Amino acid sequence: MKHFTKLAIAAVVAGVTAGAALAQELYTPNLAYRTGPFAATGIPLMNGQADYLAMLNARDGGIGGIPVNAEECETGYSTEKGVECYEKTKGKAIVTQPWSTGITLQVLPKTNIDMIPILAPGYGFSPMMDGATFQWAFNMPAGYWDAADMIVQYLESQGSLDGKKIAFLHLDHPFGKEPIPVLEQLAAAKGFSMVPIPVGLKEMQNQSAQWLQIRRERPDYVVMWGWGAMNAGAITEAVKTKFPMENFVGVWWSGHDADLRIAGADAKGYKSISWSFPNQDAPVMAAIKEHVVDKGLSKSDAEEMSGVFYGRGIVISAILAEGIATAQAHFGTAEINAEQLRWGLENINMTAERISELGLDGMVPPFSTSCADHTGHSGGWMLEWDGEKFVKVSDLLTANVDGYKALAQTNAAEYASANAPWPVNENCSATN
Amino acid sequence: MLNDIFIKPFVDMVSAPDFLLQVLWEGLVSGILYALIALGFVLIFRSSRIFNFAQGIMVVFAALTLVGLHAYGIPAWIAVAMTLGVMFVLAVSIERIVLRPLVGQPDIILFMATIGITLFLIGGGEIIFGGENKQMITAELGIPTGDTVLEPWGGLLILQHLDITVVVVATLLVAALLAFLNYTRMGRAIRALGDDHQAALSVGISLQTIWVLVWFIAGIIALVTGIAWGARAGVSFALEVIAYKALPVLMLGGLESITGAIIGGLMIGILEKLFEIYWGQPLMGGNTETWFAFVLALVVLLFRPQGLFGERIIERV
Repeated sequence: MKHFTKLAIAAVVAGVTAGAALAQELYTPNLAYRTGPFAATGIPLMNGQADYLAMLNARDGGIGGIPVNAEECETGYSTEKGVECYEKTKGKAIVTQPWSTGITLQVLPKTNIDMIPILAPGYGFSPMMDGATFQWAFNMPAGYWDAADMIVQYLESQGSLDGKKIAFLHLDHPFGKEPIPVLEQLAAAKGFSMVPIPVGLKEMQNQSAQWLQIRRERPDYVVMWGWGAMNAGAITEAVKTKFPMENFVGVWWSGHDADLRIAGADAKGYKSISWSFPNQDAPVMAAIKEHVVDKGLSKSDAEEMSGVFYGRGIVISAILAEGIATAQAHFGTAEINAEQLRWGLENINMTAERISELGLDGMVPPFSTSCADHTGHSGGWMLEWDGEKFVKVSDLLTANVDGYKALAQTNAAEYASANAPWPVNENCSATN
Repeated sequence: MLNDIFIKPFVDMVSAPDFLLQVLWEGLVSGILYALIALGFVLIFRSSRIFNFAQGIMVVFAALTLVGLHAYGIPAWIAVAMTLGVMFVLAVSIERIVLRPLVGQPDIILFMATIGITLFLIGGGEIIFGGENKQMITAELGIPTGDTVLEPWGGLLILQHLDITVVVVATLLVAALLAFLNYTRMGRAIRALGDDHQAALSVGISLQTIWVLVWFIAGIIALVTGIAWGARAGVSFALEVIAYKALPVLMLGGLESITGAIIGGLMIGILEKLFEIYWGQPLMGGNTETWFAFVLALVVLLFRPQGLFGERIIERV
């Protein structure tokens, strides 16, 4: 009997300890892709994300004193595997980071039921900006429609677009088609014509047909929505067909240093809109070096760390951390749950001062979120490849959100009715 | 509509002949590369009845090995020789570890084994080389990168030196392969094995040696293909999907025919480009290259189930 009592006490103590140990972490799984055809662009992003959170864990003991467990679940950028990863991790996750527009669209309805916020910074379904309809989805600091608007603004700053022709070279995938509604709207408003040119997944590295079409169409500009191997394929074809690089602009996922390095000096003048910038002098870089790199905890190297995508990975994790910290402060507890994090993500206020406090000077523009606005619309900078690296060639551009707010609300309402019953946040008006 | 299908494309071709020449040239370059990949499939299928699912990843593995070795400071051409050595070791390992124990098993088992090889090479490649996009050592290998601009009929025709090199090297490789298969003892042994396994074995042809040889030749083809495609847009695991472009070539040309692989590759390369430019883009919004080759192969299969050059199977009951 004595033995039995001792065993029972030991079991209870072990159970309580294990439970406490399990609870003592913020589980923020990342549906990463370090393998497959898109790995080349995924690796620096994932490394930036992981290193920032590792730095917080090492320097501050996590966020609010609780370590962050940013376990990666490998998807290979496959939508099917992404959904499996979501199902596998959702049990104790306080957030899900799907890392592909395809996966985001698949898990979007599930998160309403599972009540887990989706964090998809700079990607995903653009009408997610309507926070009242997409309560659980966030794509701050900027969405694809912002990118399309800012690119057109920049091109317009080079001269009127009336009567001009823009070729829209895009991956034939949900991601690539995202900005088409806004580009069509802008084309009608500004008097330019838009020629969509799709690139199939199997044609990413051999785009000769697409660039023959570009040669035949003689567009004034080429705007690219490319990802993975498509970017390097397009840039080398542009060089090959002698398309003027200064008239070639990509979205933020088409501005990866390693892709441009393949064409090197020949790609000089190529541009990419971006809501992040790799500022090597920002204090966060020194902190990562001290707490992560010097301790041998980073998977990255010096060349990758100086690139746009590694810096963007840092910013993405910083946004997540800020959402967590905001929720912790509001709810007065460090151990927040998914629902509380949703509130935190909805109330981020990244002012210039706060960005500086976090050591992210010059790496991301200020933005804030609200229950009605899940995108933040930070704006972005136009970056240009100088033959060796990307440099800023514009002041901060901000999207004219009012131009497509109604479109977003219409698309959000259509999505909600097509997926009825769809819960809408009745307490959130379009202005708050 | 009928005008857009039957008249306008031909008017466009005649009115801009320089552009037509450019389309044909780009089609030829793609076609010769498709043919090269298809040859890798055909050689292995002829000698062992195995549909080698791993051909695509072999292209990636060979290119990554070359770039990886060069990154360690090994001169480019020595790195090429060493990569060929690695591909030979791979061929021997595949024969010893995977294929030999499976001799006599149904074809589907051997096919599944090549899927296993694919997964092994993907995992191994990612562990050894990482998944980042790497730059092909084009200049170090002495491959020219400039272009020649011609002005036929007052128009514009841009010929990339890289593409010219690819066409020349691929043609030489195909010619060498044909000569090897037709005029050498080993080559004839491969063909004999393809014609009749039992008969070939009965006259003393070693199955093991031939298997190592064909997998090694497939490795050489993979290296050349990897260099050609890698020089265009970098070396990454995305190159693997290029191999799938060879599938309709095999359907069209026949799985067992070397001539079929070459002609099928060229046909698909040129026809898919012509269709995309003159019909696909104006009438269907483009991106027809993803399906055109399969539809073409399907139409051919309706009339010739063995493909254009495949052997007709006659079974007498």
